[in-house]
Amino acid sequence: MADVRLEGLSKAYGTIQVLRNIDLAIDHGEFVVFVGPSGSGKSTLLRMIGGLERISGGRLLIDNEVVNDVDAADRNLGMVFQSYALYPHMTVRENLAFPLRMAKLSKAEIDTRVAQTASLLQMDHLLDRKPRHLSGGQRQRVAIGRAIVREPKVFLFDEPLSNLDTELRVQMRVQISKLHKQLGNTMIYVTHDQIEAMTMADKIVVLKDGVIEQVGSPHDLYHNPASRFVAGFIGSPKMNFLGGKVEAAHESGMDVRLDAGAVVCVPVEPDKSLVGKPITLGIRPDDFSPSSAEKDIAIDLDLDLDLDFVEHFGSVTYVYGNAGKEAVVAKASKPDPLKGSGKVRLAASPADCHLFMTDGKALRRLHAPANWN
Amino acid sequence: MRLKRPTSTNLILNLLVGICALILAFPLVWIVMTSLKQQAEVMTWPPTFLFVPTLDNFRVLFDVAQAGATSYGTIKVDFLTPITNSVVIALGSVIISLLIGVPAGYVLARRDIPLKEDIAFFILGFRFAPVLLVVIPLFSVFQAIGLYDTYIGMIWVYQVVTLPMIVWLSRSYIEEIPKDIEEAAAMDGAKPVRVVLHIVLPLLKPGLIGASLLIFLLAWHNFALGLILSSTKAPVTVALLKLLNPGVQFYPVMAAGLVVTMVIPVILIVIGQRHLERGLTFGAVK
Ligand SMILES: Nc1ncnc2c1ncn2[C@@H]1O[C@H](COP(=O)(O)OP(=O)(O)OP(=O)(O)O)[C@@H](O)[C@H]1O
Ligand SMILES: [Mg+2]
Repeated sequence: MADVRLEGLSKAYGTIQVLRNIDLAIDHGEFVVFVGPSGSGKSTLLRMIGGLERISGGRLLIDNEVVNDVDAADRNLGMVFQSYALYPHMTVRENLAFPLRMAKLSKAEIDTRVAQTASLLQMDHLLDRKPRHLSGGQRQRVAIGRAIVREPKVFLFDEPLSNLDTELRVQMRVQISKLHKQLGNTMIYVTHDQIEAMTMADKIVVLKDGVIEQVGSPHDLYHNPASRFVAGFIGSPKMNFLGGKVEAAHESGMDVRLDAGAVVCVPVEPDKSLVGKPITLGIRPDDFSPSSAEKDIAIDLDLDLDLDFVEHFGSVTYVYGNAGKEAVVAKASKPDPLKGSGKVRLAASPADCHLFMTDGKALRRLHAPANWN
Repeated sequence: MRLKRPTSTNLILNLLVGICALILAFPLVWIVMTSLKQQAEVMTWPPTFLFVPTLDNFRVLFDVAQAGATSYGTIKVDFLTPITNSVVIALGSVIISLLIGVPAGYVLARRDIPLKEDIAFFILGFRFAPVLLVVIPLFSVFQAIGLYDTYIGMIWVYQVVTLPMIVWLSRSYIEEIPKDIEEAAAMDGAKPVRVVLHIVLPLLKPGLIGASLLIFLLAWHNFALGLILSSTKAPVTVALLKLLNPGVQFYPVMAAGLVVTMVIPVILIVIGQRHLERGLTFGAVK
């Protein structure tokens, strides 16, 4: 177990700056997930922590010790690679034993630890096979086993599940989460799959173009995205963004006239300087509900629904349509009310709305739901 | 899916294959036959295919005690020394090439060094250069520094033949080992030397055995280097030529020498066939 601190970390390949001024504190036993689009620098950051990539600037501390210049072999971290990177010429047993042999443990100790790890990951029966005789999921388990067998301070995962099919991915996701609870180690996990991030993380770090966009709990990121980018990245289907103009700023929030017609008073920290300026309103598909006159709903949108674009997920249904010129996705609790109609009224509570300025930054919400932890 | 061909096409194709085999086999069969004949039989035309085979020619090659007395005269041949020379030179060249070439191949495969591709191409370029390019300048240099006609000198110049191959082959083999695997080993606590020892070398082994066989053969069959830079340490290829004395030409003895010279690589190929195939096709298949 260990804590990891990144202080102004940066990485450049020649003149290309791929990571800039990364500050991050990771506590004992935390499960931290790096997410971000392809090329945002997630792997590079993870590899810098692991010691596989030279650090161009800033400091990396593990347990309060600067390890910038410590060899990967001496950092005592475990890593699971996207490609698994098992040793093809060794059996599963030898693969698991390798880190222990490198640590110069006794033969007896190695045998016990290998057996323990194998039974923890339910692969006792695979020990004498070579990696090429294993399925993808089994290889994955061996790779995880090899990373944990030495009981390293921190586990690093680089998109470990991306080569598995959906079903296996969900299974392994649960297994890794369980493993984290059992072992209580610090884990740093890279993925571009926001569902993995949301379901596994204690703390999510959203990266974009080599800088941290936001750090927070899944709940935080979902309900208080700091920017339009984070808002669009977290949550599925994506948040809707509607253009509008600020009409007024007052104590209880800001009045926004949407290009699609409605005027909404969004409860955010008011900023008078924005009056008259363009603004983007964000609302999640799940926060829409079919309009009903009785409810106190301050925003009504007319959606021209194209019924070709109805997605049934079994428990929920999403409808795709347009409000004015803007594409909108909304959850429909029951598919029936929408059947056959080309137009449907959807409603949402202003408290569920987000506002983003032209530079993409979010205005602080006044009534975001309390954190569930 | 299999294409169905008319039998006539099949017949023609088979015939072509047969002709190819015949063309390739002809000199081989001829030499083997000659090595088993008597001098008198060799000279007859049309050639006889029915004769009483004799191993006398092989005896002459190695029988130093009787000074090569044959039924048709005495020739002094010492074939054992050139064979020993060839074995020492070829084996030595392979070992030295492995020791230098594999690390060089590793650097060219894995490290970012300036002018990497140019260096790699320059090294490979020696494969295409005529051997005389190095031989002629080296001749006087070797005589001056006392490397002329020594094993060390020979093994040294043979690197011109063997080293580029090993560098090039081992580079491509190393490139086929995913970098992740080496990085995983580093994460598992292995220092660079142990990564090489426990991970890289075992994975390279089959390829390197194939490559070693290949360059052994290249060294074994080399002729020009030995001809110019050695006399008593001359390899077997040079010794063979010397059997063509001006005056008497002992064709059957020479044929026997050729057979012996060929048999050694053939034995090696048979032993290492599995690896040799891998050595030849390694870079081709992913
Ligand atoms: N050796 C290198 N030389 C130059 N640029 C590099 C090198 N390695 C990575 N990069 C660049 O660094 C940036 C970050 O790469 P990185 O692999 O960390 O992205 P990532 O977030 O892991 O993306 P993905 O989700 O596709 O794995 C990319 O723009 C990439 O092109
Ligand atoms: Mg990556």
